[in-house]
Amino acid sequence: MVEYKPQYYPGSSKVSKNRKKYMDPSYKLKKLRTISDDDLVKLMGHRVPGEAYKSVHPPLEEMGEPACPIRELVEPTPGAKAGDRIRYIQFTDSVYFTPLTPYMRAWMGHTRYRGVDIGVLSGRVPLEMRERDLEKVAKELVETEIFDPARCGIRGATVHGHSLRLDENGMMFDALRRFVFDKKTGEVVYVKDQIGVPLDKPISVGKPIKEEELREMTSEYRVDGVPFREDKEMVEFVQRLHMLRTEAGFDPNRVKGI
Amino acid sequence: MATEKKMFLEALRKKFKESPEEKYTKFYIYDGWKQSKRKREFVEWGTKLAKERGIPFYNPEMHLGGIPLGQRVLMPYRLSQTDIYCEGDDLHFINNAAMQQMWHDIRRTVIVGLDAAHMVLQKRLGKEVTPETVNHYLEVLNHALPGAAVIQEHMVETHPGLVSDSYVKVFTGDDELADEIDKRFLIDINKEFPADQAAQLKAAVGKKIYQVLRMPTIVAMTCDGGTMSRWSAMQISMSMVNAYKLMAGEAAIGEFAFAAKHAEVIEMGTLMPWRRARGPNEPGGVPLGYVADMCQASRVKPEDPTWVALEAISMGAVLYDQFWFGSYMSGGVGFTQYATCTYTDNILDDFCYYGADYVKKKFGGFGKAKPSWDLIKDIATEVSLYGLEQYERFPALMETHFGGSQRAAVVAAGAGVAVSLATGNCTAGINGWYLSQLLHKEEMGRLGFYGYDQQDQCGSANSFSYRSDEGLPFNLRGVNYPNYALNVGHQSAHTGIVQAAHSGRGDAWTTNPLIKIAFADKDLKFDFTHPRLCFGKGALREFMPAGERSLIIPSR
Repeated sequence: MVEYKPQYYPGSSKVSKNRKKYMDPSYKLKKLRTISDDDLVKLMGHRVPGEAYKSVHPPLEEMGEPACPIRELVEPTPGAKAGDRIRYIQFTDSVYFTPLTPYMRAWMGHTRYRGVDIGVLSGRVPLEMRERDLEKVAKELVETEIFDPARCGIRGATVHGHSLRLDENGMMFDALRRFVFDKKTGEVVYVKDQIGVPLDKPISVGKPIKEEELREMTSEYRVDGVPFREDKEMVEFVQRLHMLRTEAGFDPNRVKGI
Repeated sequence: MATEKKMFLEALRKKFKESPEEKYTKFYIYDGWKQSKRKREFVEWGTKLAKERGIPFYNPEMHLGGIPLGQRVLMPYRLSQTDIYCEGDDLHFINNAAMQQMWHDIRRTVIVGLDAAHMVLQKRLGKEVTPETVNHYLEVLNHALPGAAVIQEHMVETHPGLVSDSYVKVFTGDDELADEIDKRFLIDINKEFPADQAAQLKAAVGKKIYQVLRMPTIVAMTCDGGTMSRWSAMQISMSMVNAYKLMAGEAAIGEFAFAAKHAEVIEMGTLMPWRRARGPNEPGGVPLGYVADMCQASRVKPEDPTWVALEAISMGAVLYDQFWFGSYMSGGVGFTQYATCTYTDNILDDFCYYGADYVKKKFGGFGKAKPSWDLIKDIATEVSLYGLEQYERFPALMETHFGGSQRAAVVAAGAGVAVSLATGNCTAGINGWYLSQLLHKEEMGRLGFYGYDQQDQCGSANSFSYRSDEGLPFNLRGVNYPNYALNVGHQSAHTGIVQAAHSGRGDAWTTNPLIKIAFADKDLKFDFTHPRLCFGKGALREFMPAGERSLIIPSR
């Protein structure tokens, strides 16, 4: 039997290649900025830096788990072992050439991370995990090429902005103004945590990525970027998927030779 | 479609001061809620009433983090294909008397056939039934139906000033019989419909005669949908006793009651299962095809089936998205913001007319092509990509439909309506909708919210399925159909997909000819021929509803 080699995504365009790249866990995401562990904890706002993790159950070792083949197969994450509570980080990604689209966040999260629960909406993507596991993953999500400080937002509520025009500094709208553009440094600075609680001191997440670079990095088709209709393989892939689902729903016997 | 011909541009220019193509703007400078006349009015009333009642009330400063809405432009909305602009608040059904009346006019309607009752009178009781006796019975019932006594003495009755919108009319497909019915009681098919539609409808109705009963709006407001057929049945039975001089309580009266409550009744909405816990004549039980038939646009402008579909869509949006999902099922106020996307700013209109033009050019007109995979893929893909590209070419358009579910609904509606128009087959149309959703998701890498996407990702598989609880002919689906019971933003457009298939091929009705005729009635308060215009009048506070209580409350 030939070894299965994941293809991750169809398509022949630059956008589809970016999608494949971000979803492929063997590809190491480029680190573009450094956010300290404590600053990240403050941005998420679930605990104070240095505070012990709150738990919702005793450590698994103390619980005496029942005999279960699934438990034997799956190694618990460190957060699960410790009994951490489930906490979240949520992102809003602008429609203007951001590296990740909402579905990309989910697909990528599922191929790269364990123990994640990701929801997808048009304007926000909540990612929930055991707290210490979340902090580790969040660091990669914010420090690497898949995050643009100006057009991606870390927002727990009042998330609107993904589809709005950009402000005069190229920043995505944020009704709560959690992040601002510092004209002196040219950096984006968070003054509130993701739910909108003011921070003791501002946290910089670095300079916005230039649009010409974003256009190369984006995983979103756009008519003023890479038009979807020009990626014929993608269009035909979706049409075929739809046709097979339809015919199978009507009569599974009609679907042959997939 | 050339840029300057795009139907949505005029509204976009009114909504934002920048060009619709401009990608950058300014935020946080609009003084929050104070930029809105309607919000200022709300604050004024809220402040005054908080003092009067001694309990805190409306206060937009309570918004999350103390930062009120209005950090960006609170844009106005144009009622599509009208010149009416209003604020978003004016389109919430609580703030719009026309929307309330549309629902009340639907809910308070019951259709009851008269033939069973006439058969009992003639064959069982040996009574004579003639056009004269029918006219007399209708006069009695027009006294009784609003809430007056016809048999008992010393009865309490309703004040005519509160129930003047309650009446009964009849219709028949028999021209000779129709000629002998008092014109005050007749819905005249020949008069209300274009000749070709009238011929179709009369052939469907035949020689039968049906009553259309309107219970008082105030009853629709204060009782539930299940009340309607009971209210009508009671008054029908009493009026039969009166008009035909029957014994009150003889066994045959039970036959009238059975006919009026069950055998001859057509409710506007069916009973729903316990998990949705609503009786008949509630929005959740009204099939898509019934809403399309209640909409009367098809008889006033049959030469423009795209417009007809769009008018039907607006009714579906208000009934299903705003009343049913937005209030009955979810509570809260957020669904209005969402649902308006299908009937404001000429955006869906632009997408649908683009699809209609594409169909005319490629297939030589409407209803001329047989459904096929090649056709569905061609039309649905072209219209979907056209719609998505408009959002990307015009940032103001993207900002107008700032929620992905709005864009998904509107793009897929354009695709579905176009496939329906081409084929005259709404099952093909809904399949085009689902292809559109999948294309949209892969193109933008985003679609709607969780539930929105769930519904559409299993939709391909159930669009051709007819097995019970998995499928249903599309006209008969609605928000009570299992896969459609989840969330807002679909059934408005689905109503239009049904309508487009039938108006595209010149049908007089989509699903039930009796419903189509019952709403061809100028005495209804809501104008079912031009729902969007009527909603606009409601938004401008120019619509006068029924069910007012000023007669029985202190004057202000």
